[in-house]
Amino acid sequence: MSGSGRGGGRGGGRIEGAVDAGGGAERTARTGLHEGIYEVFARKRRGDALRHIGYIDAPGDELARVYAWKTYDEENWFEMCVVPRSAILPVNRSDGPWAGNR
Amino acid sequence: MTAGRESARPGNGIGSAEAPGVPSEPGPLARHILSLADTKRLLGIRYSDWLLGSPSLETGIAASSMAQDEWGHARLLYSMLKRLGFDPVAVEQDRPADRYYSAPALDAPFPDWAAFVAATVVVDGALAVALESFSHGNFALARSRVPKMLAEEEYHRQFGAAWFARLAGAGGEGAEHLERAARAMLPATLAWLLPDDSAYEAVVAECDIWEADRVGERYRDRVGAALGGVGIRLEEIRPAREGWDSERRRGPGAPGKEAVERARGDRNRALFVE
Repeated sequence: MSGSGRGGGRGGGRIEGAVDAGGGAERTARTGLHEGIYEVFARKRRGDALRHIGYIDAPGDELARVYAWKTYDEENWFEMCVVPRSAILPVNRSDGPWAGNR
Repeated sequence: MTAGRESARPGNGIGSAEAPGVPSEPGPLARHILSLADTKRLLGIRYSDWLLGSPSLETGIAASSMAQDEWGHARLLYSMLKRLGFDPVAVEQDRPADRYYSAPALDAPFPDWAAFVAATVVVDGALAVALESFSHGNFALARSRVPKMLAEEEYHRQFGAAWFARLAGAGGEGAEHLERAARAMLPATLAWLLPDDSAYEAVVAECDIWEADRVGERYRDRVGAALGGVGIRLEEIRPAREGWDSERRRGPGAPGKEAVERARGDRNRALFVE
């Protein structure tokens, strides 16, 4: 019963400069509360490949789960998971969004 | 729990087949359903007030989704009234504010984000517990429809718990606002959740929902830890029973005019499609 039609993903539309490209917690100047970036992965059916569908900002793991589920609800996902961007290790590029984690 | 659950319906005050529509003297089960449905509808409106202006884009999207959850749940609950002889469409669209059964904490808009967060724990938590009780009774429509609502409510619980802990943990003005809002909502919400009247006892007896003591215990389990984050001990809060309206299963007052107009869809009635 969650709203439909908000989907389509929003990962591609974000302005990268608005956040710390290296991920991890950042302190927002106004509230003093921490926010971090989480990458969102999901699969539609059991056996499908897990694919990257976008990312969200969240102040912690629990809200990251809620925000991901509520933001990317355009599909009836079989499985969804979130990963802190700071935990992703780049392998072959030094200029991608996760390069700061090298 | 027993065969023939669908026939579980109090016999008094149900609108007759000759005059279906808005309940004039709804029986205890109809009042129970109206109390749940109206509270969900009003909670959805109050959540929707924060689609824009919430602390982050993600939070606004979550508020939007939660608002739509509440409206979807409300519609399912209203539709249960058809089984009791009422016209759900008339119930949704034709009642004045003083015929609403919603929890008093939702009569006015939330003044700030802290009040929104307080409501996700205090009011949404009360609704979830009341629904859980309803789903364990013998009314067949509740047993079949409410479990999915509760599954969706789990995200509301996570949202509320995380945001409540976040504001409480940050201290300062935000925590003060949060405590103030929660303390303001709790007395009337406890009275709404734990009615001390014969109508609720009739629903317990006829529909086998949880007795008030068990509901209260479950509510403490659900929200007690969060409230403790701002120093609130639930056992010290007294339900506000002054001016109790046994007909509407709530304390005095009514939701604001603008909210009721939105709940009824007054401004887009010409566009309704059934």
